Amino acid sequence: MLFASSVAEDFLRGILQGLPPGAVYGLIAVGFVLAYKTSGVFNLAFGAQAYISAALFFHARNEWQWNVVVAFTFAVFLVAPAIGLILERLIFRHLPPGSALAKLVIAIGLSVALPHLFELLIGFEPVGGRTPEGLLPNGGGVFYDPFGVYPLSRNELTALVVAVIATALLTALFRFSAIGLQMRAAVESPRMTELNGIRADRVAAFSWALSSTFAGLAGVLMAPRFNTLAAPDYFNLIIVAITAAAFGRLMSLPRALVGGFGLGILIAQVDTFLPRFSANNSWVKAIEDNVTPAMPFIALFLLVAFWPPLRANKDQVDPLSGVDPPPQLPVAVVRTRFMTNLTHSVGVGFLSVVGFVVMTRADKSWVFLVTQAAIISLILLSITVLTGLGGMISLSQGSFAAIGAFTVFQLADRTGMSTVLAAVIGALVAAAVSGLLAIPLVRLGGMWVPIATLAFASFFDAVVVKLPFVGGGDKALIEGTRIPRPVIGPWNLTNDKTFLVFVVLILIVVSAGVIAIRSGTLGRSLAALRGSEVASQSIGVSPVRPRVIAFVISGFIAGLGGALLGMQQENVNYAGNFTPYATLFWLVLVVTLGSRTVEGAIQGGVGFSLFDRIIFRGDLFGWILRDPDRVPGFFPVSAKWRFVLFGLSTIGFAKHPEGLVESGKRKSHERMERRRARREARKSLEGASS
Amino acid sequence: MSGILLDVRNIGKNFDAIAALSEVSVQVEAGERIGIIGPNGAGKTTFFNCVLGVLTPDTGTVYLASEDISQFPVHERARRGIGRTFQRIELFSGSTVRDHLLIAERIRRGTGNLWRDLTGRGKPRIEEIEACDHVLDLLGLGELANRPIEQLSLGQGRLVEVGRALMTQPKVLLLDEPSSGLDHQETADLAETLLEVQASSNFSIILVEHDVELVASFTDRCYVLDFGRLIASGATQEVLTNPVVREAYLGENIS
Repeated sequence: MLFASSVAEDFLRGILQGLPPGAVYGLIAVGFVLAYKTSGVFNLAFGAQAYISAALFFHARNEWQWNVVVAFTFAVFLVAPAIGLILERLIFRHLPPGSALAKLVIAIGLSVALPHLFELLIGFEPVGGRTPEGLLPNGGGVFYDPFGVYPLSRNELTALVVAVIATALLTALFRFSAIGLQMRAAVESPRMTELNGIRADRVAAFSWALSSTFAGLAGVLMAPRFNTLAAPDYFNLIIVAITAAAFGRLMSLPRALVGGFGLGILIAQVDTFLPRFSANNSWVKAIEDNVTPAMPFIALFLLVAFWPPLRANKDQVDPLSGVDPPPQLPVAVVRTRFMTNLTHSVGVGFLSVVGFVVMTRADKSWVFLVTQAAIISLILLSITVLTGLGGMISLSQGSFAAIGAFTVFQLADRTGMSTVLAAVIGALVAAAVSGLLAIPLVRLGGMWVPIATLAFASFFDAVVVKLPFVGGGDKALIEGTRIPRPVIGPWNLTNDKTFLVFVVLILIVVSAGVIAIRSGTLGRSLAALRGSEVASQSIGVSPVRPRVIAFVISGFIAGLGGALLGMQQENVNYAGNFTPYATLFWLVLVVTLGSRTVEGAIQGGVGFSLFDRIIFRGDLFGWILRDPDRVPGFFPVSAKWRFVLFGLSTIGFAKHPEGLVESGKRKSHERMERRRARREARKSLEGASS
Repeated sequence: MSGILLDVRNIGKNFDAIAALSEVSVQVEAGERIGIIGPNGAGKTTFFNCVLGVLTPDTGTVYLASEDISQFPVHERARRGIGRTFQRIELFSGSTVRDHLLIAERIRRGTGNLWRDLTGRGKPRIEEIEACDHVLDLLGLGELANRPIEQLSLGQGRLVEVGRALMTQPKVLLLDEPSSGLDHQETADLAETLLEVQASSNFSIILVEHDVELVASFTDRCYVLDFGRLIASGATQEVLTNPVVREAYLGENIS
């Protein structure tokens, strides 16, 4: 009897404890659904927007000593909608409707760029080890306990009340006002709406401002729940929001709020009842603290992979998309064979010179950076296979790379196996995980693959890494996750230059493999599926098999790259290399520079590793001026600009889905064609006159 | 019954409350050309989608060469011999005309695998390219083989779809409004080409069409769909003069 009453009491406590965070989840989910409903943008940058408002509020209160009302109004009702308006005006307005995937990629770029840009502009540094204050004075210190089981803090009550009121107002706006109807029409087809005499861009701007305000509001209300104030926390928040939104099939505002509450309560219940099981199961104990925050990721993955109604939301196609001009062709298809050979020779020549200089002249730190560039290039090739050839976006490449690295660490640590053999095994394990993950996902359609893989990556990050047989557990905290470099016959890879040669050889082999795949059956099947799934099926192409194989290959390459990165650093260094937030940048790089070509991946790797050193620290200037002391005073530039630059350049993805490299190639090709045409015209003119 | 190649029995499909197809049965003999006509929204494309498996019908069975293929996914049905073109043209953007046919040819041969790809033996072979170019020449697309698909007109795109479907060497070819977007002459040329190709490889054709003239000249038998039901079938000439059909389809009030 005593036990039963305590279960009931625990249950009630779980509900009360779950309501306040649930309200904030609901709030951010509502804003997210609003943006999706009215602009068709799956706004992954929503977390970044919430972060900016939260950080701005914090900064205004603590640094500028502003009054709480002023700071709140400024951060939530001025800056937040302004960001929404700017994003709409500068970016999303110019995207063709129906390009859901392009919008998603841009949102990913923004979620990398915006927090860093904000931090640079204001001089804000992420806060750690301190709980940001809420709206009301002493919000975390005053409690109300109506049922005698769980005391609700003043902050928590504020969040609850604000979320319910805001959602009610928004739902009323949508249902009963003219602008609500216009917002719903505009998402179907802005151009159709305009044919009816409505300024679609104004409607879109209004809804962006509104949804961004929700992001800001949720951000400020959320802040007291963490004892940090940093962008990655808020990025995770977006997954929570998507999960809550998924309960309402991404379309219903009230259901998104209910989904938020449900998720909050679910987490609180797991938090309450899990300790009862973990007492008897040591492995549950190991992940107990992490399962709770990982609940949204698990829920989201399961929802996306196994809940059919959600999949019914196929990507929208604009009824007027037929009037758009067709996309342009890759230059490699149209240029002459001579030009192709010439380009290749120049490329090989340049790389040979670089290789020679690095091997003979470079110091230890340069060799390290060049090696890192080669390894990152290898990892980025995994994105080339999946995104460039397969047209699918995975946000869990970091997890696959980490699986490779952790496998090497565990095998070397436990069995003393050669790390080269272990790296191959690690790549195979990553390939297997990647393939298994792909099976339920590949039929879901463009948008859901990135979402589900993001959920997987977050789950891996929160739970799997903490398992002793993966991340090493407590032992690794003390001893680190050491990976020794091997000796293969006469090759001693502890020598940095030998290791560099080893890595470059692997990179060449894998690049050749990717090129061979592109022109082979798999590459052609993937290209066909990318072009039209139903037409590919009608000629006998399986819609599942080629894509799963692409995932397997991609996982293998990422795992191999991860293992090599671990070997280079002689440590897995998960937090520094492979977290989901950090690896978003990989995708951004490849997509910006060119996802279809091997060159794109290699330039991405070089950009990732060398941009800082060469450009931002001013080394290039020093070298040009032949004197490191004459480098201008504004160097070194903050490395954060790297994220801002590449993040913002994903905006070009909509216009040049083939990437900067390819569009650069096209421009120079067109220039040469024009020059040749002029020359020939002049020649024929001279011929005529003489 | 031995001559029946494709036997579609009692297909029914509902979209929520709307009965898109109910109890539609169609038989096609080897080498036969049949037509399916009906007003917009009669369920013609839905019928194709059910035959190929793009949609799962609520009731009914599809037999191809006496084999029940109702449970097979689309690509398995395609490999067993159902080829198709689309009303709203479906091409592979970023590919050349020849690429469209090459992948179909490769899948038909079944010679592609990952190991061949990785060892550099996945590129198109000479005999594959020749097979594709043969079909392209038949369709009058030989000149365009290396052209990117984006540069083609709608009519040429329809021909590429036909070529792609032909590469699978189908037993039965489903043509979904091939004349839409083509002018009179282009339609006539397409019909002539199809007759030539069909004469040499003897497959069956089901033609869904608005262009009654094309149906009359091209098909031996035809079926008429109206609001998801078969309202008539038989020899094309007879069906087209049937008063019920004229009323439903051509809107003529016979009384």
